[in-house]
Amino acid sequence: MRAFRRPITRLAAAVAAIASVTLLLAGCAGIDPDGRGAPGAFPPPSATDQGEGVNGIYPLVFWIAVGVFVLVEGLIVFAMLRYRRKPADVDLPAQTHGNNLLEVLWTVIPAAVVAVLFVLTIVGLNRVDARPPNDQYAVVVDVDGFQWQWTFRYEEQGIEFTGLGEQGPEMVLPVNEPVLIRLHSNNVLHSFYVPRFLYKKDVVPGRVNEFPVTLTQPGEVYGGQCAEYCGLSHNSMYFTVRAATRADFDAWVAAEQEKARATPTPAPSGQPSGPPGSQVQISASNNVKFDQDVVQVPANTPITVTFVNNDPAAQHNVAIPALGFAGQPLAKPGETVTYTTPPLPAGDNEFICSVHPNMKATLKAQ
Amino acid sequence: MATTVVRPGTAPYPSRWAWIYEWATTTDHKKIGIMYMVTAFGFFLLGGVMALFIRAELASPGIQIAQPETYNQLFTMHGITMIFLFMMPMFTGFGNYVVPLQIGAADMAFPRINALGFWMVPAGGLLALSGFVLGGAADTGWTIYPPYSAQSQLRGVDLLLVGLILLGTSSILGAINFIATIFKLRAPGLTLMRMPLFVWNTLITALLLLFALPVLTSALIMLFIDRNYGGGFFDPVQGGNPILWQHLFWFFGHPEVYILILPAFGIVSEIIPVFSRKPLFGYRAFVLATSAIGALGFSVWAHHMFTTGAVYLPFFAFFTFLIAVPTGVKFFNWIATMIRGQVRLAPPMLFALGLMMLFLVGGLDGVFLAVVPFDFAVQDTYWVVSHLHYVLVAGSLFGVFAGIYYWFPKITGRMLGDGLGKVHFLLMFVGTNLTFFPQHLLGLNGMIRRVADYRANPGWAELNLLSTLGAFMIAASVLPFMWNVFLTMRRPKDVNEDPWDGFTLEWATSSPPPVYNFESLPEIRSERPLFDLKHGTRTDSHGAPTDPSRSLPAGRGQTHGETRADAPEEVLGQPVEGHETASGEPRGVTPGLPDERPSEKGDLRGDDSQARP
Repeated sequence: MRAFRRPITRLAAAVAAIASVTLLLAGCAGIDPDGRGAPGAFPPPSATDQGEGVNGIYPLVFWIAVGVFVLVEGLIVFAMLRYRRKPADVDLPAQTHGNNLLEVLWTVIPAAVVAVLFVLTIVGLNRVDARPPNDQYAVVVDVDGFQWQWTFRYEEQGIEFTGLGEQGPEMVLPVNEPVLIRLHSNNVLHSFYVPRFLYKKDVVPGRVNEFPVTLTQPGEVYGGQCAEYCGLSHNSMYFTVRAATRADFDAWVAAEQEKARATPTPAPSGQPSGPPGSQVQISASNNVKFDQDVVQVPANTPITVTFVNNDPAAQHNVAIPALGFAGQPLAKPGETVTYTTPPLPAGDNEFICSVHPNMKATLKAQ
Repeated sequence: MATTVVRPGTAPYPSRWAWIYEWATTTDHKKIGIMYMVTAFGFFLLGGVMALFIRAELASPGIQIAQPETYNQLFTMHGITMIFLFMMPMFTGFGNYVVPLQIGAADMAFPRINALGFWMVPAGGLLALSGFVLGGAADTGWTIYPPYSAQSQLRGVDLLLVGLILLGTSSILGAINFIATIFKLRAPGLTLMRMPLFVWNTLITALLLLFALPVLTSALIMLFIDRNYGGGFFDPVQGGNPILWQHLFWFFGHPEVYILILPAFGIVSEIIPVFSRKPLFGYRAFVLATSAIGALGFSVWAHHMFTTGAVYLPFFAFFTFLIAVPTGVKFFNWIATMIRGQVRLAPPMLFALGLMMLFLVGGLDGVFLAVVPFDFAVQDTYWVVSHLHYVLVAGSLFGVFAGIYYWFPKITGRMLGDGLGKVHFLLMFVGTNLTFFPQHLLGLNGMIRRVADYRANPGWAELNLLSTLGAFMIAASVLPFMWNVFLTMRRPKDVNEDPWDGFTLEWATSSPPPVYNFESLPEIRSERPLFDLKHGTRTDSHGAPTDPSRSLPAGRGQTHGETRADAPEEVLGQPVEGHETASGEPRGVTPGLPDERPSEKGDLRGDDSQARP
């Protein structure tokens, strides 16, 4: 029976090893893009007033859990070691069937603990959901989630932009002022998640979810991403949120408004001249690929691309990264946009949708 | 019964075809139970391989092994396989094999429905998995959330839906069969409050299945209609609602968690008393706690939907907190059973202890998640992945292995090797922590689930690598187990009917039991009829005190000590370690023939095992 003890010692050693490796790793730190800190036993510092509602409760719940963990594991290990069967144990131990007092105690005490946690939960929830008086918000941002990008709309300011490439769009918000984020989707579920907000809210088709948020630290940039599985490129549906002082925010708004004015509106689709074949039509019906795999065009002459976006849910465009052709503006669902590309060298020229960099096809110039 | 009767010890089958025919047409609950378990184990290996691919991809940032389209199918089918094709059939297998034996029945109430239910499992399972070879398996996540699942172009989604409808139907049939068996086929004297805890847990599980699975099956049919015939149940454009799916799914899905953990709790509640040589502390409280978990399990489903903004948060938070209480009661009852007992750390007990030590983490995580603001922070992150694996791996899977080590000698007549069993346990215990503990930290730091790739934030690559190493360690731990089974099955049968010094009726018949299970049954006056028989605390079937001078026949009765000073001398001896020669014949007591009954009891009435709290 003595042999039974060895695995226990080894087991304890293994547990200790895991714990120490974990602690060691928790100490590692490299570049830390959004002040999240290395993974540890506590959530990252909160970037918002509302997030404080989580960080206020978490340590208490954590230490209660640690207490229960130590108590119960301790009892298990104690019972296992102290009462393990010895060769001399021939007679049966006392056949105890129960003890009403003990059983009532270990029902009532945990019930009391969870009752306290429930009250704290409601208090914390009220803080997270707290709305400003009269629902007066300094800024309202409408967020459209679609596969696999975000569009941020500041309707009052007349600004709207869609994320391009994997880094996604950047939302700029003033600090210390209540902001309302409204979430829209017209295809599948997404979830708006900023780890340093300690908060996420699902983006649900057929429903507008909204939440208030008040940022606290100007100058910081926080990473965010979609947290509800939404298909192929769910893993790279990123965005960022930048906290700005009021002055910086106003300057940013002015600059964005200026940029919007400078962007050419889609030209009416007349009949631009050019060599035969220099006018092509490209279309997209979903966010995985273009409807055409290879499009034949003449080489060394600008091409007029009529792009039809048949995708009911997502924005697309036609961009040629190798030539620095950005393909602006984007075509919204159902829209047709005409682009004029720079002259194409002979051979295969890859074009993509800048919203969905995985959508690729080829302009074959001859 | 339609079963071909093959008595233990008779010659093997005349030909391979006879063997196949026998197993394919059997209605014997034990054969069906074995087929359930073997099938489930096969699916377990498949699901495990998928998990290894997932973890290999996540070992470092960037896409190395599985492109996102493959990865999304892998994590979806990993979840489906482990839950619907491994855990549920595995526990149905245990229930099939053990419940009739523990209640002293000859078979399940509906043997042919039992066979039908079993054969739907490989059919449904292969259908669900066939997407992998028919142009892509489902890539929707195991929760199959619309609108994505309604739009996904992969045929695998339809195959999954049809497969799950089959599996669900099989489970409903099984649940009805268990309920009928447990209510109608118990041996005389086996009242509800004398049922073994495994039977109680199976009964509650069957009730949960009966109420929860029809909801899932309906939802699956609705989604199938949405996908193929333009129904609008979950499509907001047509007036449907994607949130409706989440309600229906989790109304099934949360009781499902208890469907997967209660049988494991039942197994642990059988093992801990036997390996502590004491009755379960607080039997009544335990039964109440199990029933409370079953009932409360239906009032917490929307805690999976806190971030949808579409549920009434305080209600579901309250009940989620509340359900921690009966679970805690079980833990304290188990520990109190061990205290002042004689704890023997054989593999079944090690896995039971492993379940207690690790499920505790999953349970405490559950309390964290009931704190709604915290749930907002970690919902859909690796923190939740860690939580659910501490529940389903550290809970259900450890329970499965505890049960396999415990009942393997009963099922096969052979004892699994102790040493390999301990290696298996140790590797799995360390591997489970290594895999899933770092995921807590990753999730808390913002790593979301269901992603083929992640950014190289500080510490993430290291923790993910650690997690991957742990996953391979769990996989490695299964190898000594399979080697153990292989070696053991090559040996001749070497186990008597009661190798663990058990308390319940399945140990009162030969190992393996004959087709008809029992030649006779001991009388049942408590939840431990076999203990009473061995330790003589009862009267015989005519109510007269039995003769203490008649001890159990050689090879049986020498097993057990006695606390009382006036214990018969001939019962003293060493505990049986389970490697004795088989005694061949089933043992038991023939009602009406008291003279033939070996007994060592009678003068020991008043032993404290009668003292109910």
